Amino acid sequence: MIEFRGVSKAYGSFEVLRDIHLRIEEGEVVVIIGPSGSGKSTLLRCINRLEAISSGELIVNETPLHGKKVDINRFRRDIGIVFQHFNLYPHKKVIDNITLAPVKVLGLSKQEAEERALSYLKRVGIADKAQQYPSQLSGGQQQRVAIARGLAMQPKIMLFDEPTSALDPEMIGEVLDVMRALAHEGMTMVIVTHEMGFAREAADRIVFMDNGQIVEEAAASAFFKEPREERARLFLSRLIKH
Amino acid sequence: MSKTFDIQILFDHWDRFLEGFLHTIEASAIALIGSFTLGTIIAVMRISPLKPLNWLGTAYVEFIRNIPLLLVVFFFFLGLPSLGVPLDGFTSGTLGLMVYTASFIAESIRAGIQTVPTGQTEAARATGLTYLQTMTSIVLPQAVKIVLPSISNQFINLVKNSSILAVVAGLDLMYYADLINADTFLPLTVYTLVALFYLVLTLPLSMAVHAMERRFSSANRS
Repeated sequence: MIEFRGVSKAYGSFEVLRDIHLRIEEGEVVVIIGPSGSGKSTLLRCINRLEAISSGELIVNETPLHGKKVDINRFRRDIGIVFQHFNLYPHKKVIDNITLAPVKVLGLSKQEAEERALSYLKRVGIADKAQQYPSQLSGGQQQRVAIARGLAMQPKIMLFDEPTSALDPEMIGEVLDVMRALAHEGMTMVIVTHEMGFAREAADRIVFMDNGQIVEEAAASAFFKEPREERARLFLSRLIKH
Repeated sequence: MSKTFDIQILFDHWDRFLEGFLHTIEASAIALIGSFTLGTIIAVMRISPLKPLNWLGTAYVEFIRNIPLLLVVFFFFLGLPSLGVPLDGFTSGTLGLMVYTASFIAESIRAGIQTVPTGQTEAARATGLTYLQTMTSIVLPQAVKIVLPSISNQFINLVKNSSILAVVAGLDLMYYADLINADTFLPLTVYTLVALFYLVLTLPLSMAVHAMERRFSSANRS
């Protein structure tokens, strides 16, 4: 469903991604971990082409993103993304945040889109906030709205870019619960996170990155029991220490 | 010595005051809507990733903003007729006002667009919205709110600048004031009254803007 073949990305002479090879199948939940600056977010953002790759091949949903002629707006319909800082539209009510793309991009009627939005808001547990503005919600609630906004496009893939990093600790659980439920339903998910507990239990596969490269790739259970690579071992031991 | 101030003038010449006042409102309203629309388009051009649009927008702003308003109006009033497009004073004055003010509005809105976080654009584009849809639904509404005070000042300037119509016989308040003054020789009275007419337009405008700002700021906290 997603395939990186020798993908590199550079800003000038600085290489953010180096020779990435990665295959992600339909229904898989893949968690990308690694120290900050290792290229995790960049790799994720290449998948919906918020970042363009410099070389190599990247194929997502049968669309070659390295090709010249990509109908990017059509391509992006099928990929939802949740950002670290939510990026809700502050001037629109919660319900309008969610209906905007289904109406404008998918061509749903206002009523259809609202019904759909409400059903996803119910799923993330905040249907009662539909008529509020994002600023009236807590961080955890805002991030759940952002997830509902992504889901309302009924995408094939959901990307999560450090979805809990900007949240107060007591709100992290409510967001992870929503993501866990989504994973159980078989959504294809690629997640950049520092939540190791979540990664261990929800991920099928862990991708460990350092210095723009994939250092290790393993089933979640195997990775957390005994990482093969020294760098991964070091990373995990530091996380557990404090 | 005759009187220097005679309020009776207002009533004796009420018809002409009113005629001019209504034309000033009309010219201002047309130029306001026009300059806001044109200014927004220019602002979007200036930040467009397409180089030619970018260049065109920049050329517009830098050229128009840095010449006198009177020249812009003369272009429409004297310049276009010589090219075979005759325009009356009211039309050329209003057009000049619109084109001139648009350059300032464009700069304000461009500044506003740049304060909208890139995450907003990313979120919108990531759902498949086009560049233009993202602009009109997400970026511009937020940008305009942010720069509302500076835009409103441009609108207040626009109303005051509409007095330029008098120079091209544009039938505005100032034009009629000159006529009334020629008849009465009481400039202090005439122009003081005219000042009050302008204030009737500009004061509510500035108050309305303050009210809008308060309303937006309560809905726009994030």
